[in-house]
Amino acid sequence: MRRYILKRVLSIAITLIGLSIVVFAVSRIAPGDPAKLAAGPDATEEMVQVIRKEFRLDKPLAVQYISYMRGLLKGNFGRSIRTRHQVWEDMKLFLPATFELVFVSITFSILFGILFGVLSAVYRDTWIDHSARFFSVTGVAIPMFWLGIMLQLLFAARFHLFPIGGRLDTMINSPISITRFFLVDGLITGNWGVFKNALSHIILPAFVLSFPALASITRINRAEMLEVLHKDFVLNEKAQGISERLIIAKYALKNALIPTLTMIGLRYGWMLGGTILVETVFDWPGIGYYAVASAVYSDFQPVMAVTIILGLNFMLVNLLVDMGYGFLDPRVRYE
Amino acid sequence: MKGKRCFQTILALVIILTFFVGTWVYGYEKRDGKKIIVYGERQPAPNIDPSQFYDWSTRMLQQSLYDALLKYVGNPPKIVPWLAKSYKKSKDGKTWTFQLVKNAKFHNGDPVTAQAVKWSFERTLTLNKGPAWMLVDFLDKAGIRVIDDYTIEFNLKSPYAAFEMALPWWYVMNPKVVMANEKDGDSGQEWMKDHSAGSGPFRQKRWEHGVLYELEAVENYWKGWGSPKHIDGFIYKIIRESASLRMGLEKGELDAVAGLNSDDFDAVVKNPNIYVTNDPGWTTFGLKMNTQKGFTKDINIRKAICYAFDYPSMIKIYNGNAILEDSPFPKGMKGYIPCPNVYRQDMKKAKEYLAKAGYPNGGFELEYVYVSGLEEERLIGLVLLDNLAQLGIKLNIVPLVWPNMVARASKVETSPDLTAVFTTPILNDPDVVAVQYHKMSWGKYYGSHFYQNEKIWDLIDKARYTPDWKAREKLYKEIQTTIMEDAPELFGMLYNRRWAFRKPVKGFVFSPVRLTSEIDIYPLYIED
Repeated sequence: MRRYILKRVLSIAITLIGLSIVVFAVSRIAPGDPAKLAAGPDATEEMVQVIRKEFRLDKPLAVQYISYMRGLLKGNFGRSIRTRHQVWEDMKLFLPATFELVFVSITFSILFGILFGVLSAVYRDTWIDHSARFFSVTGVAIPMFWLGIMLQLLFAARFHLFPIGGRLDTMINSPISITRFFLVDGLITGNWGVFKNALSHIILPAFVLSFPALASITRINRAEMLEVLHKDFVLNEKAQGISERLIIAKYALKNALIPTLTMIGLRYGWMLGGTILVETVFDWPGIGYYAVASAVYSDFQPVMAVTIILGLNFMLVNLLVDMGYGFLDPRVRYE
Repeated sequence: MKGKRCFQTILALVIILTFFVGTWVYGYEKRDGKKIIVYGERQPAPNIDPSQFYDWSTRMLQQSLYDALLKYVGNPPKIVPWLAKSYKKSKDGKTWTFQLVKNAKFHNGDPVTAQAVKWSFERTLTLNKGPAWMLVDFLDKAGIRVIDDYTIEFNLKSPYAAFEMALPWWYVMNPKVVMANEKDGDSGQEWMKDHSAGSGPFRQKRWEHGVLYELEAVENYWKGWGSPKHIDGFIYKIIRESASLRMGLEKGELDAVAGLNSDDFDAVVKNPNIYVTNDPGWTTFGLKMNTQKGFTKDINIRKAICYAFDYPSMIKIYNGNAILEDSPFPKGMKGYIPCPNVYRQDMKKAKEYLAKAGYPNGGFELEYVYVSGLEEERLIGLVLLDNLAQLGIKLNIVPLVWPNMVARASKVETSPDLTAVFTTPILNDPDVVAVQYHKMSWGKYYGSHFYQNEKIWDLIDKARYTPDWKAREKLYKEIQTTIMEDAPELFGMLYNRRWAFRKPVKGFVFSPVRLTSEIDIYPLYIED
């Protein structure tokens, strides 16, 4: 097991280096002069040169890459050419917002996706099954952007049940930063006002972000449960008089979870990528919007940082998923 | 039975949750009895250092945190003395002397002196970023002289008629505060990006990047307040979608918004709690034509395009909230004249010019490039496509992201046949518009026509260095009509600038020299 993890960590490191080279190359060979854009539309050539020199854009690409990677090893993600902010400082601001949203969304998707999948399989061809199937098809088909706006119009603008966007109300100060997850910080510091307010803000965006994943998990879990429920060992357990609830919740579900776990790993990655739409609609100050705004202005340092951090995160989650297989099925061996 | 129980449980959960959430209240505009306005807009202001940045959102905050020697007020924009009590220029237009007010104070209580003004100008010139381009050709550090604590003199390298027009955007910083936060000889750049050292009517309160910026009024502001009901605070909130801005305003979470699309503005104006301002702006929209490459190199083809275009359709696209351009200069700007040789749709003339160019039946293709995401630019492209099809010309509409468009526009070889461009003059001086047709603008997005007319360049130079306004006025008249005649651009329209406010918010003063959604916060007050 230890050897397997070591091998996977090594492969993650190699993949990250490859990823950094690709992103660096793509961001630097794209049309547009970042120094010119950063200097402003009216800047003189001398002003553009000042920026070019300050950000070492006058050096050959290979030198720039090596210098960037050297900084990265020391934990320095560089500075944004667009805003002159330290990228790491921006990451500390925007990453927790995205992770909080994704974490709530994926938890919601897993809990309800598995629940709906099981119910749908157990009550096959009843109204519960039909509803769950309708729900899951809709979830995959509806564009997140549209769903977000519709929910905003209905629940925020029409019924005033939820706020329109953001992480907190305008007049509420951010909680003392401990984890930078407002829900957690609100709880830890006993600031119930912040917790309640943060919760009300996260419900709509988290629901929208979780919808496609919830649908996929429901579908795959339903299919697996149906297959497992017809296996011999389930029949055997039934013959032994074990209660149906125990058979479903413990034995059948555990066997059906392996493909679901794979789907969760994949969906997590898609969620990270999908945050941009949700963050835009709900003015969620996360990394998605930050990355796109940076990419549009050829601001390569933040783009590099976001790609590397999200890439690393995705790889680690998938490592956890792979390790989870062993937990669910003792027959899985790691070599 | 089990299914039913499960359904009931879920329903109960949903009801509890809805009740729980529904009891909360959203949208405040008061804190401890103080009246605070929440302004929603799309663009953040990540760096407020006056020597580094000056885009509209940045400038709006800078204008509130800092003061300058002079300030733009009203429509048409007038220059009024601010930190300066009075000023005069020498006959040759090279020496400018400013007397400062004696009661101006920085937020920490330090007096605003001539030394601070000199230091601030020197900092911007040395860093050579942000607004430096406005004066860097005319002013160097050696030309700034402190006469006494409250008198400063600027000796320009050459006369520059628009010098005073640039000064409202050169803010005065407190050298003591900035240098106390200097790191590794950076002149305080790192610190100043999200801190301020000014003397303006507001000071920083909350600064949450990507979310909001909160300002609080300086109660004993040295210049005083125009109204006893002035606002006590201002929150600039970043909202990225027009739909969210509209919902926020109607719901009362926002008190003022800009950046709504035309339909949303027209919708909110019907709300009895909201009013919408509607003023002709100076942001010009035109289609720059590459005058040195391809079919548009031929003046006859350019004129054919100008005569083929259905101009009033642009007004329709803006739901009637725009006026047509009849000069390269925006209407209302100093020196503007309506050109007698303006183009309007005349298909007969268009065909004549096309025949003159040797293409009586068209039969060629042109490329129209616009910034992707700007719906109005796309619609204008579709109108042109339809108009040119009648001449047998095919129009290829290409959306590009801003950096790619700027990159394409930077070289003659890559500059598109037609580029849709909005430009807002940053100063109330015709030089800032005329210079777009000078060789020195080649390579910039607004110079993508690569217009070549040495006579015009000489006139622009001459007007720029002539101190006497009457003499300049004549020159600008000739510049406008000649540029119109040469048609390096299809001169389009000036769209109205609009803001929506909730009824209690008063005091808004429009000034066309302010960029995009920029407003002056200082005169705002609340009428309950």
